[in-house]
Amino acid sequence: MKSLLREPLVHFAVAALLVFAVHGVWTTYVARQDGTITISRADLQRMAALYASESGALPSQADMAAMVSDRIRDEALSREARRLGLDRDDTIVERRLAQKMTFMISDLAETPEPDEATLRAWYDAHVDTYTRPPEVTFEHVFLSPERHGDTLDRDAATLLATLNAPAAPDWQTLGDPFILQRAYGDLPIREVVRLFGADFAGTLAGLAEMDEWQGPVQSAFGLHLVHVIASTPSHVEPFETVRAKVEADWREDALRAANEAAVDDIVQRYKVHIEGAE
Amino acid sequence: MLKHLMLASATLALVACNGAKTEKPADTETAAPAAPAAPEGATPGYNADRNAYFGDTHIHTRNSFDAYIFNVRRTADDAYRFAKGETIKHPSGFDMTVAGGPLDFYTVTDHAEYLGILPAMNTKGTKLSELPRAADMFSRDPDKILAAFQGVGASVRSGEKLEELYDIPVINSAWQENVAAAEKYNEPGVFTTFSAYEFTSVTSPDDSGGFGGGNLHRNVFFRNEAPERAFSTLDSTNPEDLWDWMDEQRAEGRESIAIPHNSNVSDGQMFRLETYNGDPLDAAYAEQRMRNEPLVEVTQVKGTSETHPDLSPNDEWANFEIYDELLASYVVSKTNGSYVREAYQNGLKLQEDQGFDPFHFGLVGGSDSHVAGGAYSEKEFWSKVGIVDGLPFQRGSVPMPGITDWADQPENQITNNAKHWFSRWAASGLTGVWAEENTRDAIFDAFRRKETFATTGPRMKVRFFGSFGYTADMLDAPDLARKAYAEGVPMGADLVGTGEAPRFIAWAIQDANSAPLQRVQVVKVTSSGETVYDVACSGGATPDAATHRCPDNGASVDITTCDTRPGTGAGELKTLWTDPDFTVGQRATYYVRVLENPTCRWSTWEANRNGTPPNPALPTTTQERAYTSPIWYIPPA
Repeated sequence: MKSLLREPLVHFAVAALLVFAVHGVWTTYVARQDGTITISRADLQRMAALYASESGALPSQADMAAMVSDRIRDEALSREARRLGLDRDDTIVERRLAQKMTFMISDLAETPEPDEATLRAWYDAHVDTYTRPPEVTFEHVFLSPERHGDTLDRDAATLLATLNAPAAPDWQTLGDPFILQRAYGDLPIREVVRLFGADFAGTLAGLAEMDEWQGPVQSAFGLHLVHVIASTPSHVEPFETVRAKVEADWREDALRAANEAAVDDIVQRYKVHIEGAE
Repeated sequence: MLKHLMLASATLALVACNGAKTEKPADTETAAPAAPAAPEGATPGYNADRNAYFGDTHIHTRNSFDAYIFNVRRTADDAYRFAKGETIKHPSGFDMTVAGGPLDFYTVTDHAEYLGILPAMNTKGTKLSELPRAADMFSRDPDKILAAFQGVGASVRSGEKLEELYDIPVINSAWQENVAAAEKYNEPGVFTTFSAYEFTSVTSPDDSGGFGGGNLHRNVFFRNEAPERAFSTLDSTNPEDLWDWMDEQRAEGRESIAIPHNSNVSDGQMFRLETYNGDPLDAAYAEQRMRNEPLVEVTQVKGTSETHPDLSPNDEWANFEIYDELLASYVVSKTNGSYVREAYQNGLKLQEDQGFDPFHFGLVGGSDSHVAGGAYSEKEFWSKVGIVDGLPFQRGSVPMPGITDWADQPENQITNNAKHWFSRWAASGLTGVWAEENTRDAIFDAFRRKETFATTGPRMKVRFFGSFGYTADMLDAPDLARKAYAEGVPMGADLVGTGEAPRFIAWAIQDANSAPLQRVQVVKVTSSGETVYDVACSGGATPDAATHRCPDNGASVDITTCDTRPGTGAGELKTLWTDPDFTVGQRATYYVRVLENPTCRWSTWEANRNGTPPNPALPTTTQERAYTSPIWYIPPA
């Protein structure tokens, strides 16, 4: 990079660019003053390039003429609108500008690095966010009333004995097919209600964790033998488990606060006068 | 942040692709049904055999020009909060909570035309609010309101811009607002949203000079990244131009699909056998249509589009929630060209005669609610157009206030609109998809595969598979779904012939929080006709071999209490079915229809709560149902 800066050709190019830029600013300034609208060679090239990238072809003479007249029309109208102050009393224009400024600020705002104590304090203050609903992890073997008919209850009892026998076959090879999953991990009870109905969910929530298969439990679809692997009441997750989420939440909040502070800084530079509010 | 999100979803897409590839086993001799491992990066709940997820693909908020005039002030944020289970307010003042618990996915599809313009017209300080039209639109004079509103509707229909209202920055910023809300609420593994909008093309105008006409609307969904702006009828009213634009967006990496809806009131235009401009259809048209519109919304509040009794005189269930008046009009829509089943038949005819099928689509459902929250339950119905049909008397389920006898019901604007429109709408509908996980990529892939089904509100789950190798013992195999995928194709796919008769597995369970199932049917469509077969009956019965009908299962409803007879109907129905009328050399389209036991229609629930008799002009009961995407049998070459 340094060696490049010593190249005379680069000096020349940079100087040329500067002249160009100054010239650009000057012509714009002049245009503002005397009511001239200048379409520079660079503008023309930009329009042609944009056209080519959008349509995949170079613009024809007529295309160029249309683009130039559109551009002149937009520039003239927007200058006229500004001259008449239309940009000043339009809530939507004002909101857009304020929005753009907010975006600009939020890129600049910096947040400090949180220490352990800060994160723990955040966690303690937002314990609800880190509370999980009651959940259950279970496997189930389904018996379809349509397939078993009158022997449904007896078949369920037999199958339960098979599942709890010392050398039980793989549970996944037993029972009837079930259209949904046969094993669920950490399923919130309200999801159990949605999938299996309230009666099944209520019974399932009351079953204890144990190695043995339990049931049968009745659902809208038939009977289920159930292996409750874990049944977790509503609980607050330990800080260590959710540390990453705590940090992300804290950062989001800190960034929001920093942005608000940056906006406040700007607002503070203005003296605010509200008529009738003295 | 957005960049990171996009990167993450791109990674997910890669993972999903890999997953789909490895999931298809090369050999099918699986002795122990061990579950395939979830791919890296999969969300909790991932299931290689696919889960059923339910959502609504059709929701409007205040940013829609018509919703705002219906006094809807709920935003896209409110809509997503509703879908996740929170209670929001209806414009008529009561609470709305999603029936059946939180949904898995949800999509705000505001009208792209004049998106966000009416809210801006009603905001003091904006240029738009100073227009004479704004003063009329938000006046207290119903005639002025109607005239101002019809002017906007007429422009949406004709595509001729009202320059004063066509404020591009406002429209694009409202679009970005909806995109931002979709981004904010999308949570992989928990809740899926898509950036989407409605393209509001209307054909065959009536003589009202307003919005009235035939419905050619479609909802456009973006898989991930949304474009800067939405292509609307103010760009072109021709849906084929929309497809061109979608093709361009796709070439730039923004994948999308469009889902047409309410073909039932399209005046025969949705599935007409000509292009928009009246030219003959050709292979290029069919290919472009199917690339952009693989799905059709078959049921929603404004009626069902499956079939019509005039088209299907031998289908005893065809006369179901038929609504046939053009949008905002009392003019009756043409039947031919307006229904899905007939389109399947015409598609096969075109395929056989000319070698292309523009109607090779799958099925989904939506509510088209304009109040941010969908009404899916007959028991808790609020229809869809805000203060216009928010109360029972406005929709004709109970007489006008102060009247108890239907004989005394006066004739006025409210009762006429109820008679023509609102009393003939009903609680509906949802889309079910079979997808590995609840993410944008997995659900969009299911849309593309057409592994979708539509329901009229309840969340019954239905699977449909086809193969030449299925055997009866598979029905008892604990890993039935895995075997069915391994040895056949699911709903939405083509089944290419081998010379043998295809075998189908049709399998459904009821919504645990709704009524039991009465029967499962297969609807078969060929170029020469259609047949409805009952294939699984509740109560352990089998269909009659000659009539293909289940015996009466004894289900009944007491319409004074809406209680149903207990002990009838099934929680689960499944069967292996072979078409008894199969012809090896003939193309055939097969889809499944699942029927619940009869229950009270919404209008009966409301009459009972009001203590007045049900409106004698309306059916007292309904039979909720699900429709799957078809499996297309293609004869061996």
